[in-house]
Amino acid sequence: MRGKRQRRFAGTDTDVEVSMTPMIDVVFQLLIYFLVTFSTAEVLSFLDISRPAPDAAQEAQSPPADMIRIAVMENGYAINGRDVGDEELKVLLERLAAVSTKQTVLVNCDDQSFHGRLVDILDLCAANELSQIAVMSGK
Amino acid sequence: MTPMIDVVFQMIIFFVCTAQLEREQFSEWINLPNSPNAPEMAQEKDPRTITIEVDDKGKITIGRTPLSVSKLQKILTKAVSDYGVHGPSIPIQIRADHASRHANVKRVMDICTASGLYKIAFIAVKDDLE
Repeated sequence: MRGKRQRRFAGTDTDVEVSMTPMIDVVFQLLIYFLVTFSTAEVLSFLDISRPAPDAAQEAQSPPADMIRIAVMENGYAINGRDVGDEELKVLLERLAAVSTKQTVLVNCDDQSFHGRLVDILDLCAANELSQIAVMSGK
Repeated sequence: MTPMIDVVFQMIIFFVCTAQLEREQFSEWINLPNSPNAPEMAQEKDPRTITIEVDDKGKITIGRTPLSVSKLQKILTKAVSDYGVHGPSIPIQIRADHASRHANVKRVMDICTASGLYKIAFIAVKDDLE
């Protein structure tokens, strides 16, 4: 009996059988689990914004001249008080950023516009290396 | 052989489940906006970071718990006072749906600033690996 056990643990016993059926069952369970839970990974990014304190909102009525003011409206944008389309805004912002990337960008977003459109603007600022961004609330 | 396979599978399942936990704390129904030019998010973030989610209907949640505006205000005010001097520098990350109205996002930002928090960032998708 002793001899038999030794042989078994020495790994020389050819009698050891792995019953395949339960293993296949489990492997299929795992496979199904992975298929169901599979989701592609997303690389996340972040867009820093600075917020003027709520009571400071009144002071920002007359922004200094070296400030880029962008208004995000429900359908369309305005830069420094001029209504522009998507492409025009891109060109203008590029030109303004070429002057200096230290300028403050003041983004004013309409309540009814989608968040995605605000992020588009912030993305555009990031692309032009403008990092001083303030998002204002209000109409 | 059979007990070993059992144990190995148990371990595989355990690791798979625990690896998923980090992702589970966020709602999967939020479609983040795309921002290919924004800086990539650091792997190690500030452990104090509070992630606030805003879905397309304006519902505010933290870690899958829906919150009312006043509740959020209370939580943030408490977080700020708990950290004392370092309170106002707690980073806030807003995961807002791209189809959410700005008013909903603004409400969250206003509460943050009212609590004294100023480090606010929006989360977006840099690169979709699909």
